[in-house]
Amino acid sequence: MHFALPPRKTSQPPPYLPRASRPPGLRRTRFKLIALAGLALFALIFLVKLSTSGRNAAPTSRAPRGNPPVVLVTVLDEARYSKTYLETVNENRIKYAEKHGYKTLFARVGDYELNGSPGSWTTVVAARDALTKYPDCRYVWYLDASSFVMNPALKVEEHVMQPSRLDELMKKDLPVVPPDSIIKTFSHLKGQDVDLVLTQDKEALSAGSFIVRNGEWARFFLETWFAPIYRSYNFEKVEAHALEHIVQWHPTILSRMAVIDQRIINAYNKGVRGEEYKDGDFVVRFPDCAAAGVQACEIESQSFVQAWRRAFASS
Amino acid sequence: MSTIINGQQLPGTSYSVGHKQFRFDAAKMLQTASVLPTQSGDTPISQVSRYTYSGTGRSGAAPTALLDSVRHEYFVQNHHLEFPFYGSPLPESSAFRLPRGLGAKGEQATYNLAFFSFGGATSSFSDRPARHHHRRRSSSSSSSPAAAAPPSTLRLSDRHLGVQPHQPLGPLSPIPGTPNDPMSLSRSSSPIPGGGGGWASPGLNLASGRSSPKLSGTPVMWESSRQKRGGVGGGGGAAYPSFTTRSQGFFGRHMRRLSSSLPRFSTSTHYAEKEKLGRGRWSVHNVPLLGRIRGIMARMGRKMKIRLLILLMILLSIFVFYHSPLVTYWRRSPWLGGGKKFVILLGANVGGGVMDWKGAREWAIERDSLRNKKKYVARWGYELEIVDMSTKKRYAHEWRESWEKVDFLRTALRKYPNAEWFWWLDLNTFIMEPTYSLQAHIFDDLQKHVYRDINEYNPLNISHPFTDAYLDAESQSPVGDGRAGSINLVLSQDCSGFNLGSFFVRRSEWTDRLLDVWWDPVAYEQKHMEWAHKEQDALEQLYTAQPWIRKHTAFLPQRMINSFPSGACAENGNDTRIHYSDRDRDFLVNMAGCEWGRDCWGEMYNFRELSYYLNRSWWERFKEDFLALIIFKVTGRRVKF
Repeated sequence: MHFALPPRKTSQPPPYLPRASRPPGLRRTRFKLIALAGLALFALIFLVKLSTSGRNAAPTSRAPRGNPPVVLVTVLDEARYSKTYLETVNENRIKYAEKHGYKTLFARVGDYELNGSPGSWTTVVAARDALTKYPDCRYVWYLDASSFVMNPALKVEEHVMQPSRLDELMKKDLPVVPPDSIIKTFSHLKGQDVDLVLTQDKEALSAGSFIVRNGEWARFFLETWFAPIYRSYNFEKVEAHALEHIVQWHPTILSRMAVIDQRIINAYNKGVRGEEYKDGDFVVRFPDCAAAGVQACEIESQSFVQAWRRAFASS
Repeated sequence: MSTIINGQQLPGTSYSVGHKQFRFDAAKMLQTASVLPTQSGDTPISQVSRYTYSGTGRSGAAPTALLDSVRHEYFVQNHHLEFPFYGSPLPESSAFRLPRGLGAKGEQATYNLAFFSFGGATSSFSDRPARHHHRRRSSSSSSSPAAAAPPSTLRLSDRHLGVQPHQPLGPLSPIPGTPNDPMSLSRSSSPIPGGGGGWASPGLNLASGRSSPKLSGTPVMWESSRQKRGGVGGGGGAAYPSFTTRSQGFFGRHMRRLSSSLPRFSTSTHYAEKEKLGRGRWSVHNVPLLGRIRGIMARMGRKMKIRLLILLMILLSIFVFYHSPLVTYWRRSPWLGGGKKFVILLGANVGGGVMDWKGAREWAIERDSLRNKKKYVARWGYELEIVDMSTKKRYAHEWRESWEKVDFLRTALRKYPNAEWFWWLDLNTFIMEPTYSLQAHIFDDLQKHVYRDINEYNPLNISHPFTDAYLDAESQSPVGDGRAGSINLVLSQDCSGFNLGSFFVRRSEWTDRLLDVWWDPVAYEQKHMEWAHKEQDALEQLYTAQPWIRKHTAFLPQRMINSFPSGACAENGNDTRIHYSDRDRDFLVNMAGCEWGRDCWGEMYNFRELSYYLNRSWWERFKEDFLALIIFKVTGRRVKF
């Protein structure tokens, strides 16, 4: 039978016996007590910090409930469009909105105090007003008066604004202002981060149809766009150029913006300046009719008006 | 007396001891002790002195010391043996035989030792043959007629002897002419020849487990011992060795304990001592520190322990709270002190660079301002970011000089991702009250300190709030949502509007947006002629025009973060809303506009000194306000400590 070797004895034995057990001050019960006391102390500190930090914490903005999901905003400029045409536009918006439970907001030039700046700035204020009037809406869709919703079956939140859909739709690393702006759309933007959706035609960023998601950013964006400093600047194309300006100069705006294909929300009736409307597209727009004269839009849109009436009746 | 150093001069001296006279030849003695090492010329060799210190001028001391040393030698060699006169009253006729080589003049002398009466004082020696005691006793209690030597001498000799360690001297060389009579005593170290061997320790005999001495072979016995034994045992005692416990009273039983606890002065590092290094069984210095402390603690009373503990706690607290880095860690940690949540940005080197050489005063201003911020930051654990405001071509090219602070703020937001509040400070600022923390001064109760309705103080006559119908209720409210959490920009207004010499921004998306739109080329192109204060005017314009900015902006009363010296905003005289007051201990002074016709350095210097004065420690106050005053009253002199 073998036993392990006995431990080697030191040649200088300590004058005291080594302690075999734990020090008597640290009994099991006391250990528990100490642990409990420490825990209580930490809990106390935590609670105190919680109560003080809660007071100064930044408020989390309330997520809109989505009632209504979309507000359709249209500015009816009676100086540029005929009365009958505007009634058709009105009917088109209301019918589409009723179909999906959306709301509409029609603004007239002069409804808002512009302090002498051109009436087309009403676009921006009207969109801002929609946020105020429908604080629970999810999206605000501004669609100018020279356009019609052609396909009533499509819903904004599914056809355009769904994040997964936006991931497919948005054009990344695209010069913001065609053809060759050095400022390009963000290449790493995600669909869920997009707050502003708009389109480009062949010449410029189009401000005739854009969708804004309700939130603090939307207020910031619209108020900045509407800033008196831009209104007084005499941009050639007024609010459209102001938009191009802020988009290119302010990355906090660019980083929330997605440029999507024109035919999704902004197909043109003619393919000269942009992409041409094809049957089944969501929207048709007549980009030049308002400038051509008061009656021009009515004439230009006749065939499309019959088409959307048919489509709305059949659906 | 005769001095003997290295045996240079060794006069013979004759002594009379008792009835016998003998001549003591020191040279001879030295010869016998020839093994002594000589260390250096002027060091009296202790061994020599032991023998020769007898030359104290008095006869009598010499033989005492001599005999003492003799006994010592004897002891060394046979210390396990019982001395006949130890422990028991000396028999009148006990003879003491000197070891060889120590006989005077070579004759083998036998002395009557009767007059070395050791009396009862030697009772303990049977128990412990410690030579120190032995010697001490022997010299001091010597009752010989010649023992009239002054005690100091004796003590001296005693010291010399006492420090002399136990030295086995090896075999002494026989003195020529003496009969080389070998000692009858065995040199064996064992007390029990032929027995178990090894050293016996007299003190441990009791515990050896054997109750009777083992007698095998021929026991070595002293004559006196035999006599004693015979006397006690009555003749037949030798056949039946008896064991008697040797507990002769209190001292007999406790002497070892008492004597071992006495201090020792054995500091000699003699070579022969090395043998025992670290192995002295009774040495106090052998016990490790921990063991010693434990011993002390064990002997301490409970009350004393508690007192010591309290003292220790106080000392520890003082260290922890005033000297250890723990304070800094506490103040910096984001969830305790929260110091890391604050970043101070200091715009230094204003206008420097190639455009402007700085003079001595500019450097001094910069140095003072920087040191002030650094000390403040070190005290409260904030972050300090010193930024270079020198004129840069980049900004000149883009027409955006003095919007650099916007860029610096953005850089700081990236650099300190965990910080919450960013405090911009111009160079011409001085923190007058470094004891105010930002948390206690402002941010713990932000809601209480700020005003969000600019109508409370509105030098720019901005119409507030917005009344446009298209704005929501929050934008139309004069105070935003009214909660402290929505405040992202905190600044103050001076007599002419916003002042950005000292302002706070909080990390938020809102702040990103503000810093983004603050500089805009369209605004600059239209306004650069009228905007004298550039970024300040731009912010005023943004605040005036845009509801989203107003909702998150709050103002602090100017004197909370941005007091002016009386030179600034001086058109309407002193304004309690604007100007610094040392009575109210304002937090910070901003020497705004001092570069336009005022003395920046002079103001900085004055405020620096004022700040030091206001924040003197109690000791400084005591010295300067009390002691100096008394000295002035008494002596008429002004004293500076």
